[in-house]
Amino acid sequence: MMMKFIRDFFDGQRNKFERGGPLVRWQPFFEAMENVFFGTREVTQTAPHPRDNLSVQRYMMLVIIAVLPCLFFGMYNVGLQAFQAAGLPLSTWPVFWFGVRTVMPLVLISYLVGFGWEIVFAAVRKHAISEGVFVTAILFPLTLPPTTPWWQAALGISFGVVIGKEVFGGTGRNFLNPALTGRAFLYFAYPVQMSGDAVWTVVVPKVGQAVDAMTAATPLVVAGAADTSGSVVHILNKAGYDFSTLFFGFYPDSIGASSALRCLIGAVFLVILGVASYRIVIGDIVGVVAMGVVLNLFAGEHAMPYLSMNPWYHLLMGGTAFGIAFMSTDPVSAPHTHTARWIYGFCIGALTVIIRVFNPAFPEGIMLAILFMNVFAPLLDHLVVHMTVRKRIPNV
Amino acid sequence: MQDIRIKKGYRFRMAGAPSKELASLADPSQVAFLPERIPHIKPRLKVAEGDAVKIGSPLFEDKRNPSFQFLSPGGGVVQRIQFGPRRVIQAIVIERDRQGEDRVQFASISSRELESIDRHRLVAHILEGGLWWIFRQLPFRDLPDPESIPPAIIVGLSAKEPYQPSPNVYLQDRIDLMVFGLNVLQKLVQGRVLVFSNGDTPPPDEVVAVLTHQVKGNYPSDDPGTFLYHVKTSAAQNRSWFVSGQDLILLAQLLAQGQYPVDRIVSVAGSSAPKPQHFRTRLGVPLAHLVDADAVDGDVRYVVGGLFRGYAGDPLGFMGHYETALNLVPSGSQAEFLALFRPGINKPTYSRTFLSCLHPGPMVYNCNLHGGERACIACMHCADVCPVNILPHMAYKAILADEVEEVLAHGLLDCVECGLCSYVCPSKIELTRTFVDAKAAYAKDLAV
Repeated sequence: MMMKFIRDFFDGQRNKFERGGPLVRWQPFFEAMENVFFGTREVTQTAPHPRDNLSVQRYMMLVIIAVLPCLFFGMYNVGLQAFQAAGLPLSTWPVFWFGVRTVMPLVLISYLVGFGWEIVFAAVRKHAISEGVFVTAILFPLTLPPTTPWWQAALGISFGVVIGKEVFGGTGRNFLNPALTGRAFLYFAYPVQMSGDAVWTVVVPKVGQAVDAMTAATPLVVAGAADTSGSVVHILNKAGYDFSTLFFGFYPDSIGASSALRCLIGAVFLVILGVASYRIVIGDIVGVVAMGVVLNLFAGEHAMPYLSMNPWYHLLMGGTAFGIAFMSTDPVSAPHTHTARWIYGFCIGALTVIIRVFNPAFPEGIMLAILFMNVFAPLLDHLVVHMTVRKRIPNV
Repeated sequence: MQDIRIKKGYRFRMAGAPSKELASLADPSQVAFLPERIPHIKPRLKVAEGDAVKIGSPLFEDKRNPSFQFLSPGGGVVQRIQFGPRRVIQAIVIERDRQGEDRVQFASISSRELESIDRHRLVAHILEGGLWWIFRQLPFRDLPDPESIPPAIIVGLSAKEPYQPSPNVYLQDRIDLMVFGLNVLQKLVQGRVLVFSNGDTPPPDEVVAVLTHQVKGNYPSDDPGTFLYHVKTSAAQNRSWFVSGQDLILLAQLLAQGQYPVDRIVSVAGSSAPKPQHFRTRLGVPLAHLVDADAVDGDVRYVVGGLFRGYAGDPLGFMGHYETALNLVPSGSQAEFLALFRPGINKPTYSRTFLSCLHPGPMVYNCNLHGGERACIACMHCADVCPVNILPHMAYKAILADEVEEVLAHGLLDCVECGLCSYVCPSKIELTRTFVDAKAAYAKDLAV
């Protein structure tokens, strides 16, 4: 019944988008919308006659599903942090609803603008809409502080989709992660709204009160500024960032990135399904921990206290977990060989820790580490392919 | 005997496997030769419509090498010669004489004579007997030059492609012929005759006695190219020849009996086949003779050959000379509602993105593309599945960029054209087609 109604609707609209119809330029849009409801009716023209049921659409949809725990927890946490700061009662539904009202506009803007650009480019280039943009458009808002102005979100996703991806030919031909490209653009273009202590908690508007910002140092800032009065973990504990708070994610941070647990769920889901490369994920984690351990070796009474921090905390604080689970595993901007993916992951992890610890200008390192390694991915591939090909018995 | 294990490839759980039952079919009223399906030759006709032919009288020859004679699989009258686009000769159809077919007699060779015969005379026998087409040379799978001496001849007695006739069925009662055939091959080769079979379900003991290798693994571990890739030790072996198991029997029949052989054992299989089983029938049999069209339900594709290398045949057409299987599968031209979101307990896939990865039983595969064509997203499935360790996504880009040296270094000529990279690709890129075309173009370059 439902199916027939939708089928008839699409069949009724089809002729408008076909050759000679008034909307023929927007045929990719029609196709993309139809693909949401119906599989293709196309059959193979040549051997092999059967084809795998997996399509790029399904691949991308599974990534979106994996991100949903982060999205919903992010909504709740945004409300929670705002209500806590405002001293309001913390009953679940009002808190969640406040979060929804804060986060949903950013997500919707991201989808409308990102998808809009994709349609424009698909129509001009006369190719199909690639479903990668749906993933970009959900990952991007989750990396933003909840206080991001709407116009900046629109600008960021535009930069990410257009400069990070479309100018190189669209999904599959981009060498940078589009969501992170957009995020990095905002970070450098609008540092006031993207960094500091005041952007991570939304102010709950109250009558007769003129507060326009809530400040709270994020765990990364606390750890970076730790003095020698105790161990870093101890100082984090004192600031309210103990292990379970960091693991479960009840602290002010980017919308979707605070909860290491939800990122872990997403990563495990994607790795089990084979959508994310376990090589990258394990490489990332090993890289972070290994570099943390190395820094521990240099820690001492006169050295920076941050060096001595328990390496596992690097995985819990800030965006590392989110970046590992959803950003570094983007197959297109990662290297395209298995061996190179191990190296790529390891370098991302190690660089993240180095940037965090040694560069006071950047409390968070994962974004830059991933973008940096995106640029190096083709080089890693080149080396790996060269070595693999040399092992073959030549056949010319 | 050596054991080999080939790790890559893909194990299908496909419904419609043929039973081991072997039924003999009555001879069809027509048989055909499809010159179009013999790769890399330029046919020159030697008959016209209405000519009388015997079993074993020449139908056409190769313009480039006229010693390649292709003989009639039936006795009677050439009923029609069917041309396709650009005058390609699609089929030479012979209406069989109901009274009984005449045969051309050839000299037979006894086992004793075989021991002393020199290579040159043996080759002349085979060329004259019109069976040179059973030999093919890697990597282009074309007919080898009779003067050249191969470094090895590979005989594959394994069938992993869904669904080729089982060697255990077509070797039944014909093991003597097979052994005779292997002795013939031994005369043609300078190196070794390599005989391998499926190591997972071993053949009868008499066959095991002549094997040099047993190969364990998934499709396409049955392919001579895959086998060669895993056993070769030097580039000198790249131009090995191969003969399929059933074709070897044909060769043995020709030389032992002095008659052009026309028997074929064909598997009719696939989820839409009314009764998947093996049939003993003729070379170039009409498809309609193998399957009763009235018994086939729904929109069905007739695939001549295996599902991964065969071609979509017209139900009114004929079997090619190399093809020994007819597979019937649903064409899948219906768009499925909410296909994207279904858990897919019975949607076959190489990946783990559907619940079917937990489904142990056989599933129906259809010919739907299951998605639109997109750019490569580097999911790596093609590299994971490639039996000869090519990086298909990289080689594909090198072909598009016309980097011939690079793509050869990637191992293009090792490609066994198994179709798995195209099968697993979520972006629905025609990888195998591209490789096959690139190989053919390179073969043409070399031939000039």
